Amino acid sequence: MPAGADDDEDDGHKETCGLALPLPHTTAGPFGPLHFYFPGPIDGSAAATDGTGTHAEGRDPSTITNFEGFVGQVDLTFSGTGMDTKTGATAPYQFHTDTRFMKGTFIASDERRHDGAFAFI
Amino acid sequence: MHSYDPGVSPTLGFWTIEIPKGSVEVDLDRGEAVLHIENVCRVFDAFTVPNSLNPLHPLGLVSAFLKSLRIEWKGITKRTSFNNGTTFVGNFIENSARIAVTVRTPDTKPPFTPAAQDGFHFVADPASTVSNFAQIGHESNGALFS
Repeated sequence: MPAGADDDEDDGHKETCGLALPLPHTTAGPFGPLHFYFPGPIDGSAAATDGTGTHAEGRDPSTITNFEGFVGQVDLTFSGTGMDTKTGATAPYQFHTDTRFMKGTFIASDERRHDGAFAFI
Repeated sequence: MHSYDPGVSPTLGFWTIEIPKGSVEVDLDRGEAVLHIENVCRVFDAFTVPNSLNPLHPLGLVSAFLKSLRIEWKGITKRTSFNNGTTFVGNFIENSARIAVTVRTPDTKPPFTPAAQDGFHFVADPASTVSNFAQIGHESNGALFS
């Protein structure tokens, strides 16, 4: 997640290289903690899309911290056509996705403000 | 099986990549937003989520090509405001969304995958979208909490 260089807090220090920092909250994963909440209402109330339960501290949908801006989040299932690119054979194929965007201002690992946009894919 | 994500960043950011700012449009008054990105190379086909999360990637890990991803949020089902007083405040609209995506995985062979696999190309049917949960809003968190 490199910070955008075109829109940084610019006082002439273009040499700085900041990375967006992850949300401090972690969800237990099979190989270690993962910095995110499952999708659901921001008030942390119960949601079918979040098997980890309720969250009194709220359910921040952003995956980056020190952030102010717009966020969009979806939990979708959808289908389409998959094709074997070698044989040309096609078949119906179904996916499930949790996709998000974050667009706004953030303080990166270089301790500077940046403007940028991110996608959680 | 196919499962696409950009991996974990050096700062432990989870499946999150920077995108052009123009890729996102938001109109909270109308309850609408669009995410539209194209030609994303920084995404992998990890084949399954457990394989993606396993640092050893026993099923392999292959660079894929996200040709196009477009998600449209529409409607206003519910408005929710929340402030935990210290780290997170937000005003969000719950609504529904529709997705269009085209993605491609190249042919692979050992050592990138345990066995040779033909390439895969997928085109979604947006009309098939089932919106389990969708929301858009504005928030601040961490050091920018206010």
